[in-house]
Amino acid sequence: MNYSALFIQLLPEAALVITALLLLGVAVAAEARTHRPPAIDVITAIAALGIAAACAALYFSPLAPASGTSLLVTDPLARLFKAVVLLLGLLAVLLPPARDEIAQPGEFYALLLFALTGLLLTVGTNHLLFLFVALELASLSLYLLAGFSRTATAAEASLKYFLFGGVSAAFFLFGLSLLYGFCPTLTLPAMAAALTAADGLPPLAVVGLVMVVVGLGFKLAAAPFHFWAPDVYQGSPATSVGLIAAASKAVGVVVLVRLLLMGFAAAAGSAAWGDLQPGWSLWLGVLSAVSMVFGNVLALAQTSVRRLLAYSAVANTGYLLVALTAHGAHSAGAALFYVVVYGLATFGALAVTAAVERDCGDDSMGSFAGLVQRSPLQALALLVFLASLAGIPPLAGFVGKFAMFGAAMAESTTQGVPGLTWLVGLAVIMSAISLYYYLMVLKQAFVRSAADALPLQLPLAHGMAVAVPAVLLILLGLFPALLLSPLTQALLVTLGWV
Amino acid sequence: MTPAWTLISAFAGALLVLLLPARSAGWARVIALAASIVGAVAAAAACLAKLQQPAAAAWSFDRPWLPELGIRFHLAANGLSLSLLLLTGLVAIAGVLFSWNVTQRPRAFFAFFMTIIGGVYGVFLSRDAFLLFVFYEIVIVPKYMLIAIWGSTNREYGAMKLTLYSIGSSALILLGLVVAYAAAGGTSFDLDYLASVKYAPSVQSWAFPILFLGFAVLAGMWPFHTWAPTGHVAAPTAASMLLAGVVMKLGAYGALCVAMPIFPLGFVEWRLVIAGLAVVGIIYGALTALTQKDLKFVIGYSSVSHMGFILLGMATATHWGLRGAMLQMISHGIVAGLLFGIAGRVVYERTHTRDLTELQAFDLWRSLPGAAFAFTLATAASMGLPGFSGFVAELAIGIGVWQSDPWLIGPVALGIIVTGAFSLRAMHRAFFPVRNAAAAAAALLPPLTWPEMSAIALLIGVSVAIGVYPMPWVTLIDDGLNSPLFHSILALP
Repeated sequence: MNYSALFIQLLPEAALVITALLLLGVAVAAEARTHRPPAIDVITAIAALGIAAACAALYFSPLAPASGTSLLVTDPLARLFKAVVLLLGLLAVLLPPARDEIAQPGEFYALLLFALTGLLLTVGTNHLLFLFVALELASLSLYLLAGFSRTATAAEASLKYFLFGGVSAAFFLFGLSLLYGFCPTLTLPAMAAALTAADGLPPLAVVGLVMVVVGLGFKLAAAPFHFWAPDVYQGSPATSVGLIAAASKAVGVVVLVRLLLMGFAAAAGSAAWGDLQPGWSLWLGVLSAVSMVFGNVLALAQTSVRRLLAYSAVANTGYLLVALTAHGAHSAGAALFYVVVYGLATFGALAVTAAVERDCGDDSMGSFAGLVQRSPLQALALLVFLASLAGIPPLAGFVGKFAMFGAAMAESTTQGVPGLTWLVGLAVIMSAISLYYYLMVLKQAFVRSAADALPLQLPLAHGMAVAVPAVLLILLGLFPALLLSPLTQALLVTLGWV
Repeated sequence: MTPAWTLISAFAGALLVLLLPARSAGWARVIALAASIVGAVAAAAACLAKLQQPAAAAWSFDRPWLPELGIRFHLAANGLSLSLLLLTGLVAIAGVLFSWNVTQRPRAFFAFFMTIIGGVYGVFLSRDAFLLFVFYEIVIVPKYMLIAIWGSTNREYGAMKLTLYSIGSSALILLGLVVAYAAAGGTSFDLDYLASVKYAPSVQSWAFPILFLGFAVLAGMWPFHTWAPTGHVAAPTAASMLLAGVVMKLGAYGALCVAMPIFPLGFVEWRLVIAGLAVVGIIYGALTALTQKDLKFVIGYSSVSHMGFILLGMATATHWGLRGAMLQMISHGIVAGLLFGIAGRVVYERTHTRDLTELQAFDLWRSLPGAAFAFTLATAASMGLPGFSGFVAELAIGIGVWQSDPWLIGPVALGIIVTGAFSLRAMHRAFFPVRNAAAAAAALLPPLTWPEMSAIALLIGVSVAIGVYPMPWVTLIDDGLNSPLFHSILALP
């Protein structure tokens, strides 16, 4: 093993860890000298620089797998999603926490960088045990980030998140051990080879695969494993929620794609109407339908915008799973595209919500009243985010949904009859219903007038955290090929399906 | 000047209006008017060029957009779409003129207005199903905002109802298009390609109603029409004109030029159901309009009735029927725009009531003779009197019905009679009340302003022009109907 090559390959992660340690050092030094925590602006600046350094390291890192094992891979998919995770992490750092929300900024941002490190490692491995460890690094950091603001609601959110997450990790690990029992290897390509040779999965391995999917379902907030989401979205600091909603979800989808398409493509079965065959595709289809119905119906009843976004997250997981149900490269590529634009839109909506919350004290819909008079640009950005989530063109969310549903239908078609019409039809109808609750928020912002139309000013960093996702959503909506084509190509190369 | 200038002028206008600084917000209407005129002139120039050189190579703009899914940015226009572009341009000009007095947040108002116009132009120009759907959906949020912010009666309810119907119907359209795409092999969204594929009859028989219903809801097909009267009444004048005048035509256009050519066998299977619903819509809309108290509701239900004629024309699957459906789209676009303009802007903003009984107190034929004169002409056009566009359209549809299903002529004639009845009733009650002239002096109302007069003159002029000399429009429409898209439908037994 060549340690220098390994270090170069791990340079992005190393940059993050070094910055995290630096932040802890700064925090300790500041406490020792002034008996006060360090200024939050200094801390966020260092964290942002660290992430920028990681981006640079990623850009210059070699593409070829240096270690020659499945432990650390730098295939195109991993590189693209490392970039996505770093971008979403940078946005989260830009979003300033509310006053007095975070007592120890040094520790908070160090944990954020550790979470990012875990997420980066998670997307860059084909090894199941390493995957578990990396995922746990990310998860443990996220549990702490969720409960950092020392309020009762944050504590409840964090505890719920931790308990559900812990159970899901147990499921995940137990599932992995059962799969290991089926063929004594932990790397995905080897498992795929064993699966092809064995001509189907034995029952116990099927149970293992179900458990793995359940474990990932928790992370993705798929119904019925979503119970943590509303409390975490409502109670935790906006920065943490942004990271959980956007980056963590994107990574969850990548893991699911890698695991199912690279390792267990042969055990997919079929969810096509009239041609149902047992396999993970069928379970994903059911999970998807349940998530879409649950998420959308419950979101209709919400008055807190953060909780509304949580249920919208459940619903969107359902749409993502529609694409994965089709188990084809183009639909999976579209799902990867959608999870990125979904993350941007949800993050942006959270950033606007955080600004409103800071001013009005809560995130109820009424707080958004008259936003267009108080800050036209923020109102316009909110329109972009929510319309993208609802799938209104010309925004990226629309293209993502259309690409997912179109590819899923095309890839499930046999002899001119599309097999997934039942699921795509449900998804399309549910997506139409979702416009209602997004419009309820937009109605407040654009139609109702505020009690006091005081201008709502934003600090520069917060403004960036709102503007960058909005611009990206418009850009990717007008020119979707900029991201969709590289993602699909990367997926094809990574899976070796070219 | 290519037809693309319609699209460019509308979206550029919307952007310019949005970027205006707050202190020059008054310029918004001028920019919107200029952009609408550019669009209408571009459409008119393209129509004229088509009439002069019918055989000249058609303009088109074709670039790859999303190669993974076979999506192209493909714009093109045949005579049929050119005639609808011109209609949109004319209604847009009239809409801006009728909104000349909007002072509440004028920049946002005209930005949303021009976005809707741009989306409508885009639908008529798209030759790729994905692109068409993009333009189709762009109008949804602006529609909501226009009604909810600037509307009148029950505006938030009306706006939400209309928006939910729109998004629900576009869900069906999306599903139908995706089915067609997948069943055709998942390689291309090109409309001409999708229409050339021979789908299995079993797929067509369930996929056609999905796609057709999606479009037909927006065209106000009974019993899915209830969004239309509520939405049109709640909307501000310009939005009512746009919604009834052109946005409903998007539904009819999609049903005619997308749903029917893609699934022709499904169309044959469901043809009589559509015809039946269309006839029910004609009679139901007219009867309901007969009992309304609110002048705008009368016009709203008359739209349901008139849109029924369009659907009926399509359902005949004859050349005359389709021709008539297209002529009725154009005629109704002009006439509904005119009626909503007079009722919503000219009358309501002066009298602050649209109640037919309360309006009697104003003696409008004396206090506002210009409006009474214009409304009389508009009513005549709406009833389909000879010399106006409505007559030509209804005659063509009647011929089509006679050729395909003669037994339907009876109910259609009944519908035409009731249309006359409700039109005359509304006109009579609102403008020519029978009162003892000595009993009350007519209230003094401000006379018509120049934007109102020019908008009225424009729309009446066009309606009369079509009614007197329909040939250019028929030529344009036939150019579209003779394209390969309609071969499978017009060749039906």
